[in-house]
Amino acid sequence: MTAVTAAVLGKFDRRAATRWALALLGAAIVFGILVMTKGANPFSVYHSMLSTVTTSASTDGILLKATPLIFAALAVAVPARAGMVNVGGEGQLVIGGVFAMGMSLAVNGHLPGQTTLVLMCIAAAVGGALWAAIAAVLKLVIGINEAVSTLLLNYLAINVMLFLIYDRWKDRHGSGQPASRPLRVSERFSLIGSSKVHTGLILAVVMVAVIWWVMRSTRWGFQLRVVGGNPEAARRGGIRVGATLLSAMLVGGALAGLGGVAQLAGAEFKLRQGFLATYGYMAFLASWLARHKPINVALAAVVLAAISVTGDSLQLDSSLPAATVNVLMALVLLAVFGWTRVKVARA
Amino acid sequence: MTGAVRGGTSILYCAMGESVSETAGVVNLGTEGSMLVGALAAYAITANTHNPWIGALAGASAGAALAFVHAFFVLNRKANQLATGLVVLFLGLGLTSLFGAAYVARTVNSFKTWKVPLLSHIPWIGQIFFQHDPLTYLTFLLVPATWFVLQRTGVGLLVRGAGERSEVLSTYGHNVLLVQYLAVVTGGFLAGLGGAQLSTAYANAWFENMTQGRGFVAVAVVIFAARKPLAAMGGSYLFGAALALSPALQARGWHVNQFALDSLPYLAIIVVLVLLGKKRAAEAPEGLQKVFEMSIAT
Repeated sequence: MTAVTAAVLGKFDRRAATRWALALLGAAIVFGILVMTKGANPFSVYHSMLSTVTTSASTDGILLKATPLIFAALAVAVPARAGMVNVGGEGQLVIGGVFAMGMSLAVNGHLPGQTTLVLMCIAAAVGGALWAAIAAVLKLVIGINEAVSTLLLNYLAINVMLFLIYDRWKDRHGSGQPASRPLRVSERFSLIGSSKVHTGLILAVVMVAVIWWVMRSTRWGFQLRVVGGNPEAARRGGIRVGATLLSAMLVGGALAGLGGVAQLAGAEFKLRQGFLATYGYMAFLASWLARHKPINVALAAVVLAAISVTGDSLQLDSSLPAATVNVLMALVLLAVFGWTRVKVARA
Repeated sequence: MTGAVRGGTSILYCAMGESVSETAGVVNLGTEGSMLVGALAAYAITANTHNPWIGALAGASAGAALAFVHAFFVLNRKANQLATGLVVLFLGLGLTSLFGAAYVARTVNSFKTWKVPLLSHIPWIGQIFFQHDPLTYLTFLLVPATWFVLQRTGVGLLVRGAGERSEVLSTYGHNVLLVQYLAVVTGGFLAGLGGAQLSTAYANAWFENMTQGRGFVAVAVVIFAARKPLAAMGGSYLFGAALALSPALQARGWHVNQFALDSLPYLAIIVVLVLLGKKRAAEAPEGLQKVFEMSIAT
């Protein structure tokens, strides 16, 4: 089995592939044991999880979920290449959604829908970038570690959104839970074919390609990697380290902001409590899982989206809470962090 | 003000634990996770044994166990500390939702407020400090004890050495790895106790993700307190005070938006970081600076 995997993967060496397979198997076994302690049969759990992934309805669900995740994971990857830890995807996504909604409310139907959508995307990118900039400035001016500040900013961002939907933006005609008014149909991303997947996914894929190219082939991408590799050498080499770090965070924030608008204008159409909750953290893990390489990051985002969608099958078939898949996700990541790295990337 | 102490205590436990861990050169964002499993384990065991003390011990052990996972991956497998911490948090989130569902909306025999005789009658101060649950009183001992152990004993010297100059420590034949392991696990133990205080003394309830970023706040508190226990105590109470402000204002008939108030604790922590941050960063142990890469910030 492992030999086959190695042969398929080709360019990876066989030992690395074996380690990956063993790590994933280990995670699966530990999760199976945990599920057993709750009285569920691990084999039927895995079976139902697998069969969920392969139905077309859940393929839709996975891609739908992966769309904002890909944006947010890129938002982690870009600053990470410059050596920064952006754990603020959560907040940047939400602020992106808030800015986009704000733009829609400001335009209030006075422009053609698709023009408004473009404006919303720009607003979301600017919003996400500004939110990320707070953390970058705190780091550069005062020396506060960005991992801590972005984490705290997440809670602030969520409260900003809640404030708006419980107060200023509350939909008076809405029922039940407070939420903003829904977006006009013309301001939404259009669906691809007869699926639930929207054109935001195409934008995401384009962004992956753009970031991949920028990182690989532009001066800025090179500077980013030098700063991430050795800031001291970068400084001596004449790179403005501070400006590079700030720009990396701005780009990251803008990407996450786009993730926010993708979810808003592609899937949910209104802001509500719990909008994009835990997407930011999943995106963070996706980026670390793929070691911040844009294309791999996007694939990792799809994989994590798949694991998370199977959570719903756990709830339905095995009556385990949906959040249980967090355990599986964490185990997989720990296995990958612990046993698959060929060399120690950064201590 | 009473609320500041009540609400801040769970963070104070975490902050003490994180102080120990960071002094040894290991940042544990999984503190949030340790706190969460601690909160659930304490609540569940209290529900089954009707004894909150056994519950608290179980909570602390659960927190320690999760911190052990962090220690293993960070110390043995050399995984990135910040990323691993978050994964550990995810593990905690998942485990607690898996095992916690049965305990939502159950009531337990929680810790009771115990007024210290005489002391609780001191005007003002008595009300703030001496009308609490036993776990809160315990922190009054824990904070000076943490300071004493870290700064004035041989054990503390070893822990500080592990964070600052691990080569020197190993040259003298000490087991750096063991010291760091113990520091991280102790950190998780205390974070678990913090979770126990949260579920069985403060909220008297269990619900999913009930810690609401308190563990992260503790990490931030430790950073601006530069791992000094007394300063961390101040920071934790500041957060607690901001938490208590919202119901207090509402009770007095003020109509301030609830979400503006909810963001106050986090905002307060960021502001304090801004005010004290620069000076503190330079004082971090070398092992920590490597993690945070603070040298970039110039």
